[in-house]
Amino acid sequence: MFQEFELASGVKLFVRPTEQFKTINISFKWKQPLTVEKASIRAVLANILQFSNEVYPTNVAFRKRLDDLYGTVLYFDTTKKGSHHIFSLNAETVNDAYLSNEKIVDDVFSLLHTVIFQPNLANGKFDESIVKREKEQVIERIQSMYDDKTRYAQQRLLENIRPNKAASITSNGSVGAVKAITNDQLIDMHQVLLTKDDLSIYIVGDVNVQEIKEKMQSHFSFADRTKTIEKAVDVPNEANDNKFLHEIQDMKQGKLHIAYQTPITFFSEEFPIMQLTNGVLGGFSHSKIFMNVREKESMAYYASSSYSSLYGLIFVLAGIDSNLQEKAVALIDEQLKALQAGDISDLELNQTKSMLINQLKEALDSARAQIEIYDQYKELNASFTVEDWIEKWKHVTKEQVQQMALTIEKEFVYFLSGKEGAVNE
Amino acid sequence: MNKEYFQQLDETLYKETLPNGLDVYILPKKGFSKTFVTFTTKYGSIDREFIPLGKEEPVIVPDGIAHFLEHKMFEKEEGDVFQKFSEKGASANAFTSFTRTAYLFSSTGHVLDNTKTLLDFVQQPYFTEQTVEKEKGIIGQEITMYDDQPDWRLYFGTIENMYKEHPVKIDIAGTIETISKITADHLYECYNTFYHPSNMVLFVVGAVNPDEMMDFIKADQAAKTFDEPQEIKRFYPEEQKGVAIKERTLQMDVQKPKLLFGIKASNTDISGDEMLNYELAMQVAIEMIFGRSSAFYQEIYENGWIDESYSADFSMEQGYGFTMIGSDTVNPTELSEKIKETINSFSSNWSVEDEDLQRIVRKKIGFFLRALNSIEYIANQFTRYSFNDMNLFDVVPALEKLTMEQVKEAFQSLTDDDAHTVFTILPFEKNND
Repeated sequence: MFQEFELASGVKLFVRPTEQFKTINISFKWKQPLTVEKASIRAVLANILQFSNEVYPTNVAFRKRLDDLYGTVLYFDTTKKGSHHIFSLNAETVNDAYLSNEKIVDDVFSLLHTVIFQPNLANGKFDESIVKREKEQVIERIQSMYDDKTRYAQQRLLENIRPNKAASITSNGSVGAVKAITNDQLIDMHQVLLTKDDLSIYIVGDVNVQEIKEKMQSHFSFADRTKTIEKAVDVPNEANDNKFLHEIQDMKQGKLHIAYQTPITFFSEEFPIMQLTNGVLGGFSHSKIFMNVREKESMAYYASSSYSSLYGLIFVLAGIDSNLQEKAVALIDEQLKALQAGDISDLELNQTKSMLINQLKEALDSARAQIEIYDQYKELNASFTVEDWIEKWKHVTKEQVQQMALTIEKEFVYFLSGKEGAVNE
Repeated sequence: MNKEYFQQLDETLYKETLPNGLDVYILPKKGFSKTFVTFTTKYGSIDREFIPLGKEEPVIVPDGIAHFLEHKMFEKEEGDVFQKFSEKGASANAFTSFTRTAYLFSSTGHVLDNTKTLLDFVQQPYFTEQTVEKEKGIIGQEITMYDDQPDWRLYFGTIENMYKEHPVKIDIAGTIETISKITADHLYECYNTFYHPSNMVLFVVGAVNPDEMMDFIKADQAAKTFDEPQEIKRFYPEEQKGVAIKERTLQMDVQKPKLLFGIKASNTDISGDEMLNYELAMQVAIEMIFGRSSAFYQEIYENGWIDESYSADFSMEQGYGFTMIGSDTVNPTELSEKIKETINSFSSNWSVEDEDLQRIVRKKIGFFLRALNSIEYIANQFTRYSFNDMNLFDVVPALEKLTMEQVKEAFQSLTDDDAHTVFTILPFEKNND
């Protein structure tokens, strides 16, 4: 999918030239092992670098510069993938070809250099008032999860099944860890980005590969990395004594979140078969869970499953009336049992194959999705192509899906709802 | 078939109006894998009072019916339409807004088969009392889900504050009480009135051969019979200029207050170029005064009065429109006063430079070119523009021609105090946490 170049040891450039888009997309991804302290520091650092830099020392000046470059999008972000924390810098800018007599792509490269290498420092430190405010912003971002009941319920489920593990640590860290961050830690972390973290740089758009490569080499000089990062997978063997937790908030709908474990991960030979298995169970609107929980019983508006392959977890989510929790769980249990008993029609297997194939092909229509998919799948095979992956699904049989279903074990039921017995309007 | 080339954007648009009145647009996109097709009727939640096809007297139908109808279109005598799309690897969906109901799919193969499925399921209604009753549980859960979303409640609470009579103030999905009254007869009545091809637009974008696709659609439509097109008579109540409610608060289980400052638009009975220019001038004005590079934004950000949830937008359709500015905030009072003060200050002293205007126009052109990478954006927005007699591809030239005078005039329409309202969501008083 991408042409690969090594800019320094541990620093790779991936370029995909295409005329498909009217813009050029650029992504820097710095990876290191995920811990709550490091995630917190990196989340705050992302905000600080986003606010100002040496060349544009106020946020107004920086924003105005971006507006001037035809509203070039440029933002820092933190995410996680398995046991990796990813600090990223993303940019999207209009291709010069669509502007009359203007050259902005070079200006954007200079700006990228500025935001990475020239932070806004005084006496070797960040401005204390900026640090204080951006810490507060990250704290508020973490706390705002409470207002989104689906995200909150999912996070509570994860904290219960995988406490202090990669699966439950968020990419923003924790309120306590953010509060404890010092200016020096932020400065140190910035140095880690420049010299130590595994770095992948992606460029997608109507570009000349050779020119872009030279541009990268002339604008950016990254140090050789001495350490390589381990695989992103994290599947601890957890034995949970508690199997169920019901929590109450002042709300109307019940949020049902069920976790299942499986030894099959992204790195397993059987991974493509497990993708299909999850699809038959609840990935789509023809799947067993949607057809039975929503269409047959009218119990829910949304009801689906998802496979979190780097943690060996499958989740089923449904929004239901708060007094139907037991009935819904029993109905969902039945769907997994049916799958384990081999009750899989040709139709649903073929539908699932068609939908997965379509989903993967469709992703190619977004530059950002191209980057995300390749960033993950290149871990399996550097010459990954969508076509090769589709071949893996095509020959999967019902029996193989059944075998996969037998590895899935229900682990925990989390339910968030209004007060018991409260009347729903 | 009409063919128009937009040089600056390097896009070619094909168009034909079929004998039954259906407008068909096709936009091939090079390099794309998927094809995205939307089939949209100019019928949304605000169309609650109208004269049904073949009748004389206006009727008022239960709130939430356009959205209910959208759900029920997917169920047929032989089963669920999703099943059929899945077999051909298409992801299908639909949505209902204040003014439109859209049915859509995207797929990377079997595009003609999937287009056929789309045309057939939208043009062959099947409603029974039993299937209508069954849907009430599902939509009931959808309504409850939105009830628990504070940002949705904030948005709708602000619209309710602004509008006294206009049905834009009614939740698109209705309430559990109003949908309980919906019958199969109601659905047929609305369907027959609003789903005539002459009230609809079909938009095809992505990997598509325009000649083959147009021929396919024409043959399909020619083989179906439709009544003669008739003008649809819709009624909207007279709406006062000022807001209905100046200020309101709601308590919810949230961790931080949320504030939205709403400004009711005064000049909404427009369409075509007039609407395009007014809308763009208003968006540019809002971005200049309240956007992220404005002095206002910098001050409230540095004061800690807003967080990443901050937004400032203008949106309109024929008959209603509003500006909304707000954020999650621990200082709702200060924020709301600062917004008011900023409006007043620019109203008395328009301290905006030409270079500010140029900068914001460049930013908006860049945004638009980025958006043209998304075939979903093109299909949805193009349809919205065409229902309002505008052309999406006129946006860049219109932006380039925009004058300071137009922007200033648009901004002046925000200054009437009677058009301002504030809605706040507050956390419960904590006593047992």
